Amino acid sequence: MKPRWRKVLSDLWDNKTRTLLVVFSIAVGVFSIGVISGAYVIIKNDMSASYAANHPANIELRMEDFDRDFLTSVQNAPDIESAVGRRIFAIRARPVNSTQWAALDIVAVDDFKKNDINLLTPISGAPLPGKREVVVEKKVLKEFQVAVGEDLVFELSDGSTQTLKVVGIVQDPTTGADDFLAPPFVYVTMSTLPTLRQPDAFNRVYATVDSGKNDEAHIRNVSADLVSRIEKNGKDVSRSRIALTNEHPLASTVNAILGILMALGILIVFLSSSLIANTLAALLNQHLRHIGVMKLIGGRANQIFGMYLVLILAFGLLALLIAVPAGGQGAYGLALFIADKLGFSLLGYRIVPMAFIIQIAIGVLVPLLAGFAPVIEGSRITVLSAISGEAGRETAGKPTPGAKRESRWEHFQVRAAQALLRRGIHLPRPLLISLRNTFRRRNRLILTLFTLTMGGAIFIAVFNVRTTLFDYMDNVGHYFVADVTLDFEKPYRLSEIENVARQVPGVVDVEGWAFATAEVLFPDGSVAENLTVLAPPAGSKMVDAQPVAGRWVQAGDTKQIALTEGILRSFPNLKPGDLLTVKTNGRTDHWQVVGFFKFIDREGLIAYGTYDYFSREANLANRSVSFRVVTDTHDQPYQRALSEALDQHFRASSYKLRQARPGLSALDNATESLDILVIFLLIMAVLTAVVGAMGLTGTMSMNVLERTREIGIMRAIGAGDGEIIRMVIVEGMVIGSLSWLLGLALSVPFTYLLSTIVSLAVFETPITVVFTPLGYFIWLGLVVVLSALASVVPARNAARLTIREVLAYE
Amino acid sequence: MSATSSALIELLDVSKIYATEAGEFPALRGINLAINAGEFFGIVGKSGAGKSTLLNMITGVDHLTSGEVLIRAGRDVSVHHLSENDLALWRGRTMGVIYQSFQLLPMLTLLENILLPMDLCGLYRPRESRRRAMELLELVEIPEHANKLPAYISGGQQQRVAIARALANDPPILVADEPTGSLDSVTADHIFDVFEKLVTRGKTIVMVTHDTGLMPRFNRHLVLSEGEIIS
Repeated sequence: MKPRWRKVLSDLWDNKTRTLLVVFSIAVGVFSIGVISGAYVIIKNDMSASYAANHPANIELRMEDFDRDFLTSVQNAPDIESAVGRRIFAIRARPVNSTQWAALDIVAVDDFKKNDINLLTPISGAPLPGKREVVVEKKVLKEFQVAVGEDLVFELSDGSTQTLKVVGIVQDPTTGADDFLAPPFVYVTMSTLPTLRQPDAFNRVYATVDSGKNDEAHIRNVSADLVSRIEKNGKDVSRSRIALTNEHPLASTVNAILGILMALGILIVFLSSSLIANTLAALLNQHLRHIGVMKLIGGRANQIFGMYLVLILAFGLLALLIAVPAGGQGAYGLALFIADKLGFSLLGYRIVPMAFIIQIAIGVLVPLLAGFAPVIEGSRITVLSAISGEAGRETAGKPTPGAKRESRWEHFQVRAAQALLRRGIHLPRPLLISLRNTFRRRNRLILTLFTLTMGGAIFIAVFNVRTTLFDYMDNVGHYFVADVTLDFEKPYRLSEIENVARQVPGVVDVEGWAFATAEVLFPDGSVAENLTVLAPPAGSKMVDAQPVAGRWVQAGDTKQIALTEGILRSFPNLKPGDLLTVKTNGRTDHWQVVGFFKFIDREGLIAYGTYDYFSREANLANRSVSFRVVTDTHDQPYQRALSEALDQHFRASSYKLRQARPGLSALDNATESLDILVIFLLIMAVLTAVVGAMGLTGTMSMNVLERTREIGIMRAIGAGDGEIIRMVIVEGMVIGSLSWLLGLALSVPFTYLLSTIVSLAVFETPITVVFTPLGYFIWLGLVVVLSALASVVPARNAARLTIREVLAYE
Repeated sequence: MSATSSALIELLDVSKIYATEAGEFPALRGINLAINAGEFFGIVGKSGAGKSTLLNMITGVDHLTSGEVLIRAGRDVSVHHLSENDLALWRGRTMGVIYQSFQLLPMLTLLENILLPMDLCGLYRPRESRRRAMELLELVEIPEHANKLPAYISGGQQQRVAIARALANDPPILVADEPTGSLDSVTADHIFDVFEKLVTRGKTIVMVTHDTGLMPRFNRHLVLSEGEIIS
């Protein structure tokens, strides 16, 4: 090997700490980009592929009960390739040996073997149920543990129970794919329905179109035409939904979230590149004499430039060796996690070529770009500057003998110390040295502060975003004030249900609500959005409404509704006072929007109207099928206990209760999914903090190395181990504290930016940003600890130096 | 001392002025000097006299303020008219430079340190370079240490390696800045023996020293004081 390449190899191998530092700082960035880009590609491909492989319906209609003859007419409708009927209804179930009920949805299919829409993927046991058997979706296992061959107890509407055997576990990537908060599904054949006291009738249509399966406009037209035909035949369609075959309904949301993570990954690469630049600048600085010698004996700038570029490439390649396999595993792990949460399958572990290429490009190009400036500067240095060491000083320029002029900063430091002294404030000399040392290498300090500050600002911002999201959920909770919701099979008088409910201890208030469903229409008559109108009595205590524009519904309102902001997706210019064209109960009407509120839209939009109007429209004046109950305590365990008590009480009193649900359960599901998002954001924040801490470790190591002679002199004049260590650690902590102060300011715009992006991705609407001191304090503690830890190794190294070693140091 | 056109090294009215906070500082004042091929030439003077600055003018390591430095080794070269890159290559082939502090690269073995100039200047093939490096180590009488790192040999031995490295590309000129300054008198004597041996082989050596006691060992010398030749 040529001596110059031997030198490069020695530079790589001899200072292992420095090599590891640079390699890890490159690897962290490459790893995060690898994980996110890999997961992005896997999910983008597999999510829709898995969805499409199960033949998803293009059109889903919720409608009143219909029979097989009616289904045939749907199957024969124009542009319909295939249509199946199903019956879906809510039920409660539990394992035989448990008393804890869980809310599930039963999906009854006429003939599983002939079914060619929304196919099930078998996981274990039988793929299809027989008569009086059930197959459960794997999400059921999150509600309770049940194995193939075991029995489940189902609670029927009349209060009796039926026990059915679980014969298989399946995955259903298509049914309810747009609502990952929906209850888990259990599948039965239509022949099992009588056992469950259900009529032998369908209430859903799932259809595919014969062409244009990925043409949204075409599917919308076919759906509108089909609905119109059905309604002409005297059947009401309460809700319609369309979906493309090759695009998972949640693809855009997942991609948006991965996009946020990708942005953070790019930021980590950016931060690690500043760390690389810092380390390489220090390395070149330490190597100035070597460069000078090489130039003296015939080395040209391009040869030296080439040597250091090869060194940087070697750093990059070593980082790739670590980051590429780890990134590949991480990408699949992340994709698997998201797939599991959203209920679709992956096509198997694989290396994503795109992620692989991106990682290699970043691992090679980023260090080269970051190191380019210091390397070019180092290779161009003159022999005299290099040999004399002049260029290594911060104020490098033409070497000039004679006294240097005091810089303004040095002047300020000295004056500040004198001013403190005049006021009787005596800073201990070691502390003074630490403070002055902090600012000696200003370019290095700026880069280190930049890295740590960015890491801190993101860390703090993530906590603020978390609080913002949960605050939003709290606000949504204002619409979930009821502690228990009671749904009945048939309408009951308001006063009657209130009296019975109040017999259960703990019940404070009862309200009967009216409901309506409608489709909001575009001017051309096609369906824009599905709408559910909740209609509490005027002055309801169960809704703590907080409209963001216009007003809330009030007594005397008729065709007036307050609407979630989600409507602005379809009607961006809609204002309070405007009229919406809606189709309800088979007829077209016009409702006035009186205000907007923030809410999480699931399976269509939510609107609020008045009980008086909507109950009259449904011919249910003074009656209702759904009641809201307020109890004297509002935590979830109490709500669950009381819903059980109300359930038993009403069933015991022979009321046809369908189900009693605790109020916060839906909200908790939503909060849980937000937690997952926040955890991912936090992981990225921790990675940025790690890069920042590595930057500080590098800086402190370089500072200590460059001050070896000074440290020796201090030891020679009496400084002990403790003082040397303290001086280095205090310097590190000063840098850490400064970065915290800067991070405070920078976290504000970061919080706004991140909150807006996340809320647009998750809620499709910007939300009000809320700040929490938690992130600031945690980061303060963390940055102080990290700074101390980052300085401990360099400090110990400094303390270990003997005077003899120091004097021998070049 | 007068300049002659046949001299190997010729300095014509060379001045060097440093700009400092305290004003201009003339390090060299109109130096005229001619050194012939095969001479062992000494530049003697006290600390701050301008000896090293003068040497830096000859090697092109520092820029002059006015004047010209001509080297007639193979072809005539005005040192300060070369670009930094051309100068590095020309210097590597024409001059061997030796410093008081040896300036060996600590991560390379002695053999590799000597191989480095040949690698950088590309004058020899790898196998030939290796043979030549071993010959040079034998010349300076430390072939047995060829594969040691500089840290594991004495100062005198390091200086011998520095001389061997300076000879790597077989330059006609050797320039030495206080090469014996950090050595004991016995070791310094050995280094002088090496230099004298090289002169007999036709090398031109320009050596800077503050030690007036060494003057008799040079073929010729000048004494520098405050940037001027005083004798």
